[in-house]
Amino acid sequence: MTIEPIPVIAGEALAKTFRLRQRTVHAVQGVGLAVRAGEALGIVGESGCGKTTTARLLLRLEQPSAGRIRFLGEDITDRHGPALLPFRARAQLVFQNPFDALNPRFTIRRSLAEPLRNFGIPRAEHAERIEAVMRRVRLLPAAAWLERRPHELSGGQLQRVVLARALLPGPKLIVADEPVSMLDVSVRAGILNLLRTARDELGLAAIYISHDLALIRYVCERTAVMYLGRIVEEGPTAALIAAPLHPYTRALIAAVPVPRVAQDRAALPILGSLSATQAAGQGCAFRARCPVAMPRCAAEAPALRQVAPGHRVACHLVGA
Amino acid sequence: MTLLSVRDLHVHYVTAQGMVRAVDGADLEVPAGSIVGLVGESGCGKSTLGRALMGVLPATARIAGGSIRFEGRDLVPLPERERRPLRWRRMAFVPQTAMNALDPVQRLRTQMLEVLCERGGLSRPAALDRAETLLRLVGLDPHTLADYPHQFSGGMRQRASIALALALEPALVIADEPVTALDVIVQRQVLDVLRDLQHRLNLAMILVTHDMAVVAYACDRVAVMYAGQVVESGPVAAVLEAPFHPYTMGLTHAFPDLRDDAAALVPIEGAPPSLLAPPPGCRFAERCPFAEPNCRAAPPPLATVATDHLAACWRSAAAADLRVRAMRPETWAK
Repeated sequence: MTIEPIPVIAGEALAKTFRLRQRTVHAVQGVGLAVRAGEALGIVGESGCGKTTTARLLLRLEQPSAGRIRFLGEDITDRHGPALLPFRARAQLVFQNPFDALNPRFTIRRSLAEPLRNFGIPRAEHAERIEAVMRRVRLLPAAAWLERRPHELSGGQLQRVVLARALLPGPKLIVADEPVSMLDVSVRAGILNLLRTARDELGLAAIYISHDLALIRYVCERTAVMYLGRIVEEGPTAALIAAPLHPYTRALIAAVPVPRVAQDRAALPILGSLSATQAAGQGCAFRARCPVAMPRCAAEAPALRQVAPGHRVACHLVGA
Repeated sequence: MTLLSVRDLHVHYVTAQGMVRAVDGADLEVPAGSIVGLVGESGCGKSTLGRALMGVLPATARIAGGSIRFEGRDLVPLPERERRPLRWRRMAFVPQTAMNALDPVQRLRTQMLEVLCERGGLSRPAALDRAETLLRLVGLDPHTLADYPHQFSGGMRQRASIALALALEPALVIADEPVTALDVIVQRQVLDVLRDLQHRLNLAMILVTHDMAVVAYACDRVAVMYAGQVVESGPVAAVLEAPFHPYTMGLTHAFPDLRDDAAALVPIEGAPPSLLAPPPGCRFAERCPFAEPNCRAAPPPLATVATDHLAACWRSAAAADLRVRAMRPETWAK
């Protein structure tokens, strides 16, 4: 029997409830996830499915309503303030919009030095670390970029700086929330390739949040599909795309247009939209839009069950 | 039959830094009843071109040359009082965020009646009848007429905005990134609505987008813009399967394909030139792996390269060879 290494990050039965004026929104319910070193997990789903909230819970940017968060085996759920600082250095976020992630008045050098100072890295090491990270994100020669300000850089170049800043404190975990959605198509591949290389060479655990399944396929070996706050299917990305098991995953994959001429324009096997079904009550949250729902789906919520090694699905019709 | 024909159009913006040639000699054809995808990166001029066609450019922009022939008439010299009756009636606009087209605190009914009665001259009962028909056409329940747009989901808003654009039966709809802000399933539903309307109403459409997959799914023809110019255009199948412009070749390897097993993605290094002072030769030469010295000397004209297929590249005669080389990642490495 092989012993699995301790996950870099693990969420157990995570829940987050937001209270709006009259109603309570269960943004995340019973989510369990674990990512190991060198592994990339993609979280996909529609806007409002809870994918960003899940990432914010794991990064301790949001306090969970229930559940535990472990970082390298240590429970960090109840840590606050200064006690979280070592975790913050080792769990970094890559922002979605590079155009507002950097202070427009700071030079690139100052934006990069800031996290080093915040995490107490000796000043003598700063120049060398910055030089090395600029090589890693391929902004060379570094000296030519460091004295510039954000408005002098293109979107792709800015996102390289944002990535460099995330890598500087020496993280074990990188979370990227829609890392290329603000960038032009022709430069997206450059950022995705850099993220892949950084993860491989540094042995990082990575979590990508995206609505774009094609992008997730390119960078993640494992994918979790979320629907209304829950994981409905999780498994190896290739298997999940080739043979999706949950009816929602099937619809999601069928809806993705492909950049080729011959493609399937068959009608989508899904009804209505997310907002129409917000109040699901008991039972499966997807049943109102599901083309294969049965009476049992209204009575009982399906549990997330393992159906193949590393492949979990929450549907009464699968593996029953 | 050509519904819209744009020739050598120039649109300039006056800015503090100088004059920006946002559209700098663009050519575009829209046959009646067909959906034309207008693709390109941010800043390539695709949205400005769309706005120029509608005659809704911001005050800092002006048309500096060229012609826009629509239903046999050049729109460029027309004064505003003659352009105005064309909007909604002959050509209509669907913006990226439907909230720009819909007032969130006015019932949808009020907004549709305003267009149908005041612009279209319909009586109130006839207008209500027509409004219900329009909503059914885009797949919305006629009851939503009584609702406020702020109650709608993103997909419903976009459908309502399309219904509003279709109110007076235009021949041409210009949609600026109509599905970009939508989730993939809703995106697909809205694209299906657009295609269905095209067939039922023989509607022509310009779909401004940055997404080649959306073009492949929904469009009959495509025009690729780069740095203010159309650099390639033709039927979608021809342009995607046998591109003649190196920029189009690069784009087809630059983003992931869900159904294609992870071939390495290859970025096009660099960025488009500044449109304050564009270079004298081909504008893509700086990023083009196939550029030769003479590419930087003079701009290549948009010329016929195959049946019904135009491209602006000095090396288009060698396209078959370039296509093979463009498939190798090392070709694009800098």
